[in-house]
Amino acid sequence: MKSKSQSLWGDAWRRLKKNRLAMFCLGLVIFFTLLAVYGEIIYRYHEIRDITPSYQLTNLDAAYEAPSSSHWMGTDGLGRDVMARLVQGVRIAYKVGIITSMIAIPIGVILGCLAGFFGGKVDDFIVWLYSTFASMPGLLFILAIAMVVPDRGLLGVYLGIGLTTWVGLCRLVRGEVMKHKEQTYVQAAKALGLGSGRIMFKHILPNISHVIIVTFSLRFPAAVGTEVIMSFLGIGVQGEPSWGLMIDSARMRLWQGMWWEMTFVTIALFLLVLAFNLLGDALRDALDPRLND
Amino acid sequence: MNSNVSRRADEKKLLDVRQLNVIYGKGKDSVHAVKDVSFHIKPGEIFGLVGESGCGKSSLGKAVIRLTDPTSGTIDFNGIDVASLKGRALKTYRQEVQMVFQDPYGSLNPRMKVGSAIVDVLEVHKIGKNTTERRERVAALFEAVGLDPNWAWRYPHEFSGGQRQRICIARALALNPDLLVADEPVSALDVSVQAEILELLEELRAKRNLAFLFVSHDLAVVRNVCDRVAVMYNGEIVEIGDVADVIDHPQHEYTRKLLAAVPSF
Ligand SMILES: Nc1ncnc2c1ncn2[C@@H]1O[C@H](COP(=O)(O)OP(=O)(O)OP(=O)(O)O)[C@@H](O)[C@H]1O
Ligand SMILES: [Mg+2]
Repeated sequence: MKSKSQSLWGDAWRRLKKNRLAMFCLGLVIFFTLLAVYGEIIYRYHEIRDITPSYQLTNLDAAYEAPSSSHWMGTDGLGRDVMARLVQGVRIAYKVGIITSMIAIPIGVILGCLAGFFGGKVDDFIVWLYSTFASMPGLLFILAIAMVVPDRGLLGVYLGIGLTTWVGLCRLVRGEVMKHKEQTYVQAAKALGLGSGRIMFKHILPNISHVIIVTFSLRFPAAVGTEVIMSFLGIGVQGEPSWGLMIDSARMRLWQGMWWEMTFVTIALFLLVLAFNLLGDALRDALDPRLND
Repeated sequence: MNSNVSRRADEKKLLDVRQLNVIYGKGKDSVHAVKDVSFHIKPGEIFGLVGESGCGKSSLGKAVIRLTDPTSGTIDFNGIDVASLKGRALKTYRQEVQMVFQDPYGSLNPRMKVGSAIVDVLEVHKIGKNTTERRERVAALFEAVGLDPNWAWRYPHEFSGGQRQRICIARALALNPDLLVADEPVSALDVSVQAEILELLEELRAKRNLAFLFVSHDLAVVRNVCDRVAVMYNGEIVEIGDVADVIDHPQHEYTRKLLAAVPSF
């Protein structure tokens, strides 16, 4: 009998803690998350009071001011504080990352489980479905969905990204479920009379939850990146400051020496993507059940 | 042979398998794993099944517990043919026949507390009124297999192979079955632990009148624990009878070969 009674998640956390880089990335992710929450609170506050938030107030006298003590990241072409807008941009980035995950992950997980567990015709159909999705050029498909959605804006972005990015996860989950289906504990569960749904979602799914967590942390920044591209192309956010809009407006003036808006947004985007990606990789290692014991 | 001749009471059959066939796949690539196998097991009997690797022992065991669908033949359990049961009837059959697998490491869900997995089984079969009552049952099962009931709320990786096999036996007993298919239940364990587990199985037979289909390739073990034994070769049963007769006076050539391969016989 081993003396320590640690759960597997506890073990994973111990391994993760030893990884300095991963802990730094986790710190960054927490920092960004707090910024997003802060941004949401600011947004709600102004919405309830029905006043225009300062990051939306234009002040043409103060347009294109370089970073200074009053505007740490300078101002944009309409005299708005870049830092305030950058923080609000985190909020949009998170909204896109989380909402698209809430669309893509359940689709990927459920279809992957069904395909892997039942095999046969069910599997054939689901493989056909995701092959079809995978064979379409991603961004074009996202743009097409976004165009079809009535009032443009973020809903189109959510659906576009959400409905196209489940394929990778579906494949992974299918493969993992196929592996687990052959394991004796699943055979035992069948012999004990447990139903397929219970076996799939209560017994197998916790064993592959690391796949889902890693996928989430890797697809999150990808979704944010896609939002940036879409907003940049003019099919995304309208009104609210998003990083895509900021890059779009900043690029016009870059050659005139107005470097700050573009630079700070790019750095923020780079840090967010990097932090999530590195953390995702570290999680993959830490949560791998093969490393247990 | 006519099965309808009147029998003495102690000859009552718990399980009666007739002309059972298991064929995997179709066409050219199909594997005929079990060929026209017939045998029976009496209540409280330990029935051994021996034969070399790949001869179809597991396939037969899995067909009996209906983890694989038999291709043809009948499996009478307490007078009901269970060979083609489905849905609710199959679920009821699950309470009569259970299985213990060879690999005690893969048999337990690594992400579930061992007791929770048993509570889950009780829940599915609506045994016990609420979770408290089910947890009490789990504690009793743990005691029945010689484990500390407090260990039920730990994860599998904290247990040794022998302890895990006891947990698997406890889980199989949760539904209070009459027949346990034990597919090489001790071959993955250390010799000293093997003896303890075999002792536990015999104790369960004595206390609960539990019958076993005991699959093994270890003739010494079979000689020790089994009442009767069937020798399987290439999907067929080539010899069947009381364990002493078969092992001490083998009739079939293959049985002799099998025995010759073991130095102690
Ligand atoms: N699911 C399956 N699909 C196809 N063939 C199978 C399947 N399971 C078993 N077989 C084949 O059926 C034959 C009998 O296998 P089985 O596992 O029943 O043998 P066994 O006597 O239990 O062997 P061992 O002692 O190695 O466990 C083998 O040739 C095996 O390859
Ligand atoms: Mg086998």
